[in-house]
This record gives sequence, C-alpha cells and structure tokens, in this order.
Amino acid sequence: MIGFLGSDYMKIRDDLRTVRDPYSGKEYVVVPPIIPDVAVVHALKGDRFGGLTTVSSREDRLLAMAARTTIAVVEEILEPDEVLPGLQEVYVAPLHVDAVVQASGGAHPTACPGRYPVDGEHIRTYLAAAKDEAAFRGYLDHYIFEPEDHSAYLRKVGFAGYGK
Amino acid sequence: MVSKEIHPLEMMIVAVSRLLRNGETVATGTLSPVPAAGCLLACRTHGPDIVPLIYGDPDSRISDGLYELFGLAQRGKVDVFFLSGIQIDQCGSINLSAIGDYAKPDLRLPGGAGSNMLYALSGRTILFSMNHDRRVFVPRVDFVNAAAFDEGVPSPWRRGGMSHAVTPLCVMRFDGERKRIVLESLLPGVSLGSVVGNTGFDLGIEGRDIPEMAPPADLELALLRTEVRDRMKRIYRLFAEMLWG
Repeated sequence: MIGFLGSDYMKIRDDLRTVRDPYSGKEYVVVPPIIPDVAVVHALKGDRFGGLTTVSSREDRLLAMAARTTIAVVEEILEPDEVLPGLQEVYVAPLHVDAVVQASGGAHPTACPGRYPVDGEHIRTYLAAAKDEAAFRGYLDHYIFEPEDHSAYLRKVGFAGYGK
Repeated sequence: MVSKEIHPLEMMIVAVSRLLRNGETVATGTLSPVPAAGCLLACRTHGPDIVPLIYGDPDSRISDGLYELFGLAQRGKVDVFFLSGIQIDQCGSINLSAIGDYAKPDLRLPGGAGSNMLYALSGRTILFSMNHDRRVFVPRVDFVNAAAFDEGVPSPWRRGGMSHAVTPLCVMRFDGERKRIVLESLLPGVSLGSVVGNTGFDLGIEGRDIPEMAPPADLELALLRTEVRDRMKRIYRLFAEMLWG
C-alpha cells in the first residue's frame, strides 16, 4: 500500500509490515487480508440457489467472495434465469452465497437503489435516539424488539414500499 | 431573478467548482456534499468534459464498487480527489481517527479509510472543511491519517498531494517550496482578520495582498439552485433539503 509510510498508522498498527518488491527493489507497506467470518449483503434480486444481483456502487460481491460465510438478504426471490444484472447492477454467483433471506424493504431505513430511497425522517429519529443510552434503548424497544416480525416493523415505520 | 442572499456553503461550492479544470476526472468520497456539488456545478459551467465520479450517486456509472475507484487512483486515472479531517495541519496532514492521545482519545472517529492512498496517488487533492476554526486548523494534527507529501520517509513514490483547501472563510493552497499551507483568497465578505484569528498556524500572508474571491456569478447561482440542486437531491438528499429546501 502506498501512503502508509509517513502516516501514524505505522505507530499503532503492528500488523503493517514492509516487503521488498522483487520487481522494482523498493520497499512497500503491505497489509494482511481481511477475511470476515460472516458477510451480510443486501441484494435486489436473488434465487433459491444464492444467485444475486446487487448494486454496482457497493462492495457486495467483494464481501461475498471474501467472507467464510455469506448471508444474502434479498428484496425478492425469482427463478435463476430472472436474476440477471441490469444497468448499474452486478451478478454474484451462487458459489459465494450460503444463505438467502427474503425480506422486502430489508434495507430500511437506508436506501435500496432503484427500489426505494433513504427514509430521511427515520434516520433523523435514529440519530436523535443515538445521542444517549436511555433514548437508544427506547428506540430499540419500539422499533426492533416490539414488532413481531419484519412486516410489523415495516408497518410501524410507515414503509411505503416499492416506487416510493 | 436569483436571490442575492448567498449561503456560505454555496460560496464554498462555487469556490470548489472554480478549482476544477475542464477534462479532469474528479472523484468525491463519502460525506462530501460540498465537493460533489462543486463538481456538478463545474460540469455545467466551464467543465463540460469533466468526468465526475461521485460516490453515492445513483446515476453514476461504475461497474464494481468503491475499490474500483481505488484501482483507478492507483493507475493514475483520478485527477482530483477531495479529503477532509477533524483536524488539518499546516503541512496538509489530515486527522480522521482521534482527538488527543490515540491510546486514550478524547474523541474517537471512524478513521481514515483509503485516505492515505488516495492522497498519495490521486493527481491532486483538494481539502475541504465545513468549519474554519482553531480546533480544525492546528499546527500539528494529533494523528496523521494521511500526509500531503513524503518527507523523511522511504516511501517508494507518490503521484500527488494537497493542492488547495476550501472552507467557509477562504481558499488556501499548498506552497510546494515551503511545504506549508498558505492563504490564497478570502470568500466574499470575509475579513482577513477572521481567517487569521481562526487559523492555528501562520498562513504566509506577510507582504502579500490577499484578494477576495469574485462573488458567484448569476449563472453559477442559477445553475446551482436548479440543475445542481436537483441532482444533489438524488445524491445528498438531506444536505440539499437543508440548503435549498
């Protein structure tokens, strides 16, 4: 990695090492790979074998390929032939996906590009609640623990669904 | 008729826009609404051939994630990038990690992400800060996430570094000979005294006339408040609503 030498990362990260590049002979900083135990990605479409299409601006495919176990949350489950990437989408092969969970609106309150926008009002509610422990516990009770399932959560937050 | 009342953030956006040159590939990262708006404004004024790479833009064409941008920068295909910091020092180093002692910080922040690589390998980097005071502009940052230049380190090579910094008060630039940040211009209506008083280091103004940036032109303001606003509503909705309703 270029840019680490001269930064204070070299003082606090004892996992950063330097190696000599066998081609140029120069010393480079190298970093160990990150191998997540579990990756959870949110996909637009999925099939029951784990094929996915996700948004191209995110690192979902990289995450799915890096993690030991990958769980995909999908907006909808379709037949494998229908899970094809559209404009600004990428395909993730079933090879890299261990489990598929169908949850429409599963990205709420963040956006699912092309499906629904960020819920700015809910984000503001979350930010206000995150300022102190008691308010945050209240948020968790109200929005996360009280709803009996994902549908109940979506009803509670007033999720308007596709095309909002 | 365009309202003449101009928000300080709009001044910053215009300042950013004017620092960009036609034909450049301009990338903006996370939490960078002012650079994004400045880039979009430049595209609609003097920079029709600018290639904007605005992270988070649903209309942007990217094939495979943020690491594609990192790869582009490493290959020398990002001409301009933008960085900020909770502290920025007189050498152009930025701090995105911690205030105080790193081991026992007064404030812990999310960290530098790819900033040090992008600072080194983008063609040039424009710093921006939404606040201009002595807490941000310090003699020496508490933690160096990314440095503006290599000095005294055996770094193999670097391509770029700091070119300018834009704040609600002024535009600064990096003086390559002194290896220090110096004041370039004041934003309209800002006094030299307020910049000096709110900056924790010497800005190299001795014996120099510091000009005031030309105020936003009617065309810049009109585009900012129509086309740029509409695009920003798709990218940075909360910022756009805060600024333009």
